Amino acid sequence: MAGIAPSGRQSVLLLLLLCGFGVVLFRLVALQIWQAAELSVKADRQHRKTVSLEGGRGTIVDRHGKVLAMNVEVPSAFGVPTTLGSPTKTARMLAPVLHVRSEELERKLRQERSFVWLARKLDPEQGRRLERLSLDGVGVVMEGRRFYPKGPFLSHVLGFAGMDGEGLEGIEHRYESYLRGEKRMMVLQRDALGRSVFPADLTERNPTPGHNLSLTIDEVIQYITERELEDAVSRAQAKSGTMIVLDPQTGAVLAMAVSPRFDPNVVSNLSPDRWRNKALTDAYEPGSTLKAVMAAAAIEERVVRPNTMVFGEHGRMAIANTVIHDHEKLGWVSFAQVIQKSSNIGAAKTGMVLGEHRLHRYLRAFGFGQKTEIDLPGEGTGLLKSVKDWGRRSVASISIGQEIGVTPLQMVSAIAALANEGVLMRPYVVSEIRSSEGQLLKRVSPQVKRRVVSPDTAHTVTKMLEGVVTDGTGVKAAIPGFRVAGKTGTAQKVDPRTGSYSASRFVTSFAGYVPAENPRLAMIVVIDEPQGDTWGGTVAAPVFSRVGEQVLSYLGVGSHEPVTLAMAL
Amino acid sequence: MKILAVLLGLCLVFVFVWERVDMVRVGYQIERLKHDKTVLERQRDELRVQFSTLSASGRIARVATKELGMNPPQQGQIILVQFRPGSTAPVSVATAAPVEVRVAKNDLLARRY
Repeated sequence: MAGIAPSGRQSVLLLLLLCGFGVVLFRLVALQIWQAAELSVKADRQHRKTVSLEGGRGTIVDRHGKVLAMNVEVPSAFGVPTTLGSPTKTARMLAPVLHVRSEELERKLRQERSFVWLARKLDPEQGRRLERLSLDGVGVVMEGRRFYPKGPFLSHVLGFAGMDGEGLEGIEHRYESYLRGEKRMMVLQRDALGRSVFPADLTERNPTPGHNLSLTIDEVIQYITERELEDAVSRAQAKSGTMIVLDPQTGAVLAMAVSPRFDPNVVSNLSPDRWRNKALTDAYEPGSTLKAVMAAAAIEERVVRPNTMVFGEHGRMAIANTVIHDHEKLGWVSFAQVIQKSSNIGAAKTGMVLGEHRLHRYLRAFGFGQKTEIDLPGEGTGLLKSVKDWGRRSVASISIGQEIGVTPLQMVSAIAALANEGVLMRPYVVSEIRSSEGQLLKRVSPQVKRRVVSPDTAHTVTKMLEGVVTDGTGVKAAIPGFRVAGKTGTAQKVDPRTGSYSASRFVTSFAGYVPAENPRLAMIVVIDEPQGDTWGGTVAAPVFSRVGEQVLSYLGVGSHEPVTLAMAL
Repeated sequence: MKILAVLLGLCLVFVFVWERVDMVRVGYQIERLKHDKTVLERQRDELRVQFSTLSASGRIARVATKELGMNPPQQGQIILVQFRPGSTAPVSVATAAPVEVRVAKNDLLARRY
């Protein structure tokens, strides 16, 4: 027995060991062969983390590189309701930090969901306070938020981006494909504690940020324009105002202001009417400013010359069962005086001699009734009916700026064509697009649309328009030391209730350029529904003068009048 | 010979394990540096926004007029003096050629200057 017993124990032990190894072997085979595919997927899921990353939105700067819009990473607060202890207590602690009512937070935290946003795009300080609270079931993630550091500055041109970083208005919308950062899924390795180790593929690169835009807008010129326009709108108690400053030789927009402005950082409570860029969407009847274009057409077609005499009918002329009036009773005057004194009768007569087809052709050539093709969204075409739809009075009406709808941008482009020796340019606001590394991707060159009148005609009209400022209706547009060419406009608005012209609602404007001999600035000022004094020459022209003087000084453009100082410098 | 082979095998295993451990260590280091970079970039962006806000023309004008008691120049008060390119001597305005000094008309300012 003594010899058998150990051998039996050994056999039992051996058997047990064999069974043990058998089980392990079986388990190994099961794990490594039979369940291999399924388990490797599970392991991958635990060790690899796929994250969606998006490159930041590109920056928008002015022509001198001053930042107008950029992205900053800011904290957003989220909750995981399933892991919360007391939603009521948590909501009460969060409310003063997030500036959200505790009832609303509690409602969110009681939802049967694994993830809820509590407040997005917070200030960095709010994020730090939230982290200090260290609440269970509440977390912070960083998201890109669009900042417009200068607030309402240039708001109608810049537009704004939405909560998820998509461009919704203005340049933000028009250049969405350039500004938006690349979106990319990245696979990260993570350790047992869930910390990221490094990308699974070491060659993987981070998503590329969006491209950066340089504008033609000059921050200082825009500031001067906005300030003077706001001041004029406020003083005139007007409904709104628009002003555009162009470089007539290139079509580059140096400033584009709409009053009242809005803050693109806070747009949620505003109606779309507030952020619509009226400088290029809204059409108005230009009134007498259109006489400059009509005059150019008539001179180019040799219908009149500046010294051609026109009878002013003593301020009253009947056309097609209607009557056209002048604010000044004129007899025989030269065509130059017709423009200088803004005679409706003289302009209507000239327009009628020019004829409807030629007038329509020139209006089209100057860009009316069609988009200027500026690189901003929402541009309107204005309203220029085809000749077959014109009535018996249309030629006369259109010659004095009625029965035609133009946008301020169309009008200033047309005036800029006269300043540019008769060459119409395409207006533009983006001058350069660069990658986030600074590589130049696109440079926008000035684009000639067409020649609309000869240089001689442009010079002749310029002389006539100078007369408007020296001795005519636009004397308040004068800038000391500079020759200014321009035209005033005071147009009655159509009363939507009666369908006829209102006696109390006007659009007043002034469009012109300076210095007349070598124009550096083409500008238009449009004031909608000023109260009290409603003349373009007294409401809009002074704004032109104030902006022009400051901008010329800023640009270092010297005056044509030498003045001797009393002492040496 | 067998001992040498075992030692070589052990060395290979050691190198393999050391390489893996070092990769993980460097991985953590990369992640930490990336985090630092992100934080610094965030700070840079915040400072750029702050700089842009503080340097806005509207704010500078507000500070100049409300805090420093300055006034914007009135019409005709802006005087632009131009020098002939290449000229180093200051221009004596009284004797300067008309193209050299161009000034908006304003007697008061002319006396001040």
